[in-house]
Amino acid sequence: MRTSLINQIIVYAIIITGALLFVFPFIYMILTTFFLGTNTLPKPDQVFSVNINFTNYITVWNKNNFVNYFMNSVIVTSVAMVGSLLLGALTAYGFARFTFPGKELIFRLFLLTIFIPGVINIIPQFVIIKEMGLVNTYSGLWLVYIAGGVIGNVFFLRGFFESIPKELEESVLIDGGGNWRIFWNIYLPQSLPALGTLAIFIFQGTWEEYFLALTLIKSEALRTLPIAILMFNDKYSTNYGQVFAASVIALLPVILLYMTFQKKFVQSGYNEGGVKG
Amino acid sequence: MTIEYWHTYSDAEEAVLTEKIKPLFEEAYPNIELKLTRMPYEGLKQQVIAGVAGDAAPDLMRMDIVWVPEFAAQNSLMDLSKLDGFEELKANTFEAPMATNYYNGGYYGVPVNTNTKVAIYNKATLAEAGLTEPPKTMDELVAAAEKLKSKGKYGIGISGIHAWGLAPWFWSLGGSITNEDYTEVDGYLNSEASVKALETIVDWNNRGLVLPVMLGGEPGTWDGIISGEYLMSDDGPWFYSTKIAEKEATGFDPLEETVRAVMPAGDGGSRSVIGGENLVIFANSKHPEEAWTFAKWMLTEEPQKIMAETGLIPSNKAAAEAMTSMNIPFVDTYVEQLKTALPRTPIPQWGELEAIFNLAFEKAIRGEQEPKAALDDAVKQIEAILK
Amino acid sequence: MSSSFMSPEIRNAPHTRKSRLAIGLRQWMAVLPFVALGFIGTAVFVLYPMVRNIMISFQDFSIMPNATNAWVGFDNYLKVFQDPNDRFFIALRNTFLNVAATVPVNWFLAVFFAVLINAKFVKFKIAFRTIYYLPIVTSWIIIALLFKYLFADGDGGIINFILHKQLGIISEPISWRNHYWSAMVMIWLFHIWKTVGWGVVIYLAALQGIPKDLYEAADIDGANVMQKFWRITIPLLKPITLFVVINLINGAFGFFPQVYFITQGGPMNQTHVIPSLIYIEAFQNMKFGPASAMGVMMGLLVFILTYTQMKKSEDSACFKEDR
Repeated sequence: MRTSLINQIIVYAIIITGALLFVFPFIYMILTTFFLGTNTLPKPDQVFSVNINFTNYITVWNKNNFVNYFMNSVIVTSVAMVGSLLLGALTAYGFARFTFPGKELIFRLFLLTIFIPGVINIIPQFVIIKEMGLVNTYSGLWLVYIAGGVIGNVFFLRGFFESIPKELEESVLIDGGGNWRIFWNIYLPQSLPALGTLAIFIFQGTWEEYFLALTLIKSEALRTLPIAILMFNDKYSTNYGQVFAASVIALLPVILLYMTFQKKFVQSGYNEGGVKG
Repeated sequence: MTIEYWHTYSDAEEAVLTEKIKPLFEEAYPNIELKLTRMPYEGLKQQVIAGVAGDAAPDLMRMDIVWVPEFAAQNSLMDLSKLDGFEELKANTFEAPMATNYYNGGYYGVPVNTNTKVAIYNKATLAEAGLTEPPKTMDELVAAAEKLKSKGKYGIGISGIHAWGLAPWFWSLGGSITNEDYTEVDGYLNSEASVKALETIVDWNNRGLVLPVMLGGEPGTWDGIISGEYLMSDDGPWFYSTKIAEKEATGFDPLEETVRAVMPAGDGGSRSVIGGENLVIFANSKHPEEAWTFAKWMLTEEPQKIMAETGLIPSNKAAAEAMTSMNIPFVDTYVEQLKTALPRTPIPQWGELEAIFNLAFEKAIRGEQEPKAALDDAVKQIEAILK
Repeated sequence: MSSSFMSPEIRNAPHTRKSRLAIGLRQWMAVLPFVALGFIGTAVFVLYPMVRNIMISFQDFSIMPNATNAWVGFDNYLKVFQDPNDRFFIALRNTFLNVAATVPVNWFLAVFFAVLINAKFVKFKIAFRTIYYLPIVTSWIIIALLFKYLFADGDGGIINFILHKQLGIISEPISWRNHYWSAMVMIWLFHIWKTVGWGVVIYLAALQGIPKDLYEAADIDGANVMQKFWRITIPLLKPITLFVVINLINGAFGFFPQVYFITQGGPMNQTHVIPSLIYIEAFQNMKFGPASAMGVMMGLLVFILTYTQMKKSEDSACFKEDR
């Protein structure tokens, strides 16, 4: 049965309206970045007739050490991403492939904590980092980012690992390889789409992280991008053109990464399994 | 040797700091390097708390005067009054700003600059209200605001529901927060005069005379004054230094298009609020001696005069004297207003006190509570924290 | 799960206590190299902070070095309950309101858009999915700044501009962040806009798992679109719906940047949620004890809710790994 043309048009109209609702704020933000009037809220009719220019982008890029903060965020985020993926995959492998007493109990306990809002832990996490003497270091940030993310990442990866057919291991076992070889040669390559998806989530979460970075990092030289963006939010007035130019620059890497890899996006294995069952 | 200095100077002020102050200091003290760190205003207090707690605070900070007692009470600042040369410095410094550093028998900072707010009017809007010069009294201002109301413009420039925004108006209308020793609120914040002052503000707001920005609306005070939608608001000298620096880009000349005056007088006279910053040295500073050297130097006449170019009023007496002949176009009104301006309560509990104060005023202004009841409630809560 | 992974010798081993212990130990030794770091990290940076939080909630705690941090019993909890402005209860109420207001809308929009995009004749499915998911990958701070700007007071904000100047639906511009309900609505719209794409993507994936022949059979029976939707799609999506709803509830429970960056709890502390209250109480007012007490209470609440949810969903396969 073919859907009638009218129904097709209605469906298209609805989903295109939806898409516009999601895209429009971004367009409006980009238009505002072309606006040079400082500190005044540009009026909507002015925004739509603005001339395209990149003055604000150039100003922002050269102001408040923005480039340094951008590079800092690249460093912080890359290390946190690689570390989180590795630790998450290792732990998930342990849960997926091994049997050991208390496994499900530990997994349940971990799961329970995942829903408790992170802000509650900021005070004690700061105290712990302070006692380790790691305030104002990236090591402190990385420890919390990586260790704090293990549970969520294990939760995400375990299902994928469990769906990997056991027969694949045999070739490794025949070659005399052990559990490590199976991890490296079978589990990691077999779950690349899942790892890639997770990588983008971790990248985004770390890239925009503000509260912990603000609490732990004190030197100007070590600041990350979210702090830099709020630096444009001045005490006396906000220069919207510059704030949003900085925002667009900050959003660009995440959006590009996402656009590039989104075709390979996967959801957690539980979901897909849920439907089939 | 490097000492780190945290500040929140504005763009225009920061330029003077990095281009003039830093080279001058490093020339006088070649063995000390001054490392300047501009802090984000957003989340600043949290930064300072975490910095002190995590042993990652800088050597010095230019800190808002109202924070000093609170951080001193947390043992995070150094008592400077026992240091070499303090008495001499104190003798050269104005007493009122110096007093904002006093806590528990010591001085936990030195005033680097002082400031206040004056009434800034849009010239064209003033003419539209039928006036040739700024109103001298609250009654005149109210009359002008009534006239502008029909034109969709606002006349009474209260900039926000916080002590910094409200106090000049509350005091000028005859209100008070505490007694002179800052020990009693009962009978002051809820006195008849205070209730009447708050009632007046509530009434103004109900009649639609007060800037929408007071309750968080738009436009902001600067935008409103520049566009002429607001007749006036009260603000500090940074309005002028910032806008003069941006004159080329925006085409707005604040000296041409606005006029200044002291706050219009009410039952309490013409009152504004004393603002300013103190230089504090953190208790865990790695180089307290060098930090103190810088603090002492920063309070001498020459650097004080340089910073005065931005309209920040020196706390050094000689520099303030010299400032009058420096031809800074907008500073006269600020100096004049300072003579009658009042400080916010300099106690460690100020942060909590202000939260209660703000809430009481907001409730009354939004019509959630009668002014008298709101102030009585506030007094009860403040008494609990002062104990 | 994974009984299939157990070697036969273990399964058939005599279940004496000693051998069980030995086997357990051997199993732990085998797995430990893989999970040790993850376990230690979780223990130090997730579990221990929770314990520490509970400790702080019973202390007169100062974060400053060399503070005495005396034990004060339930003082901090009393302070929270005796707050003359009832901020904790207001925050608690708002938390439930946020769930009630956002979860149904979020869920409905997710199913609605996913089903439409999944329609056979729709082209560029991936493009739509990408666009709908875009807000998810952007930063909370930036979107918050953007929403404050879009919802600005007066006709300067595009939302007021459209509603007032263009459409004339409202008689005067709304100052959104200025009144309790409009501020709450703004927070909800912000949250829904930012997160609805997640549900859409999950449902799109789930819809692809529904066998096509079911619909074909329904077509033969002459079922219309709505009948197919209610009789086939919705029942088959039930397990995934549970998963989505649980996540939406937890998301709505964890409001923080939504409130902190939009209203800071204003006007008059009316829009606070517990996390934003905790943050401000700790890092603005330096009241770490009461802040931790609120954290413990919130943690307990979430713990109980999650635990019962898990129990309930036990059979529905969402959290069950071994099927």
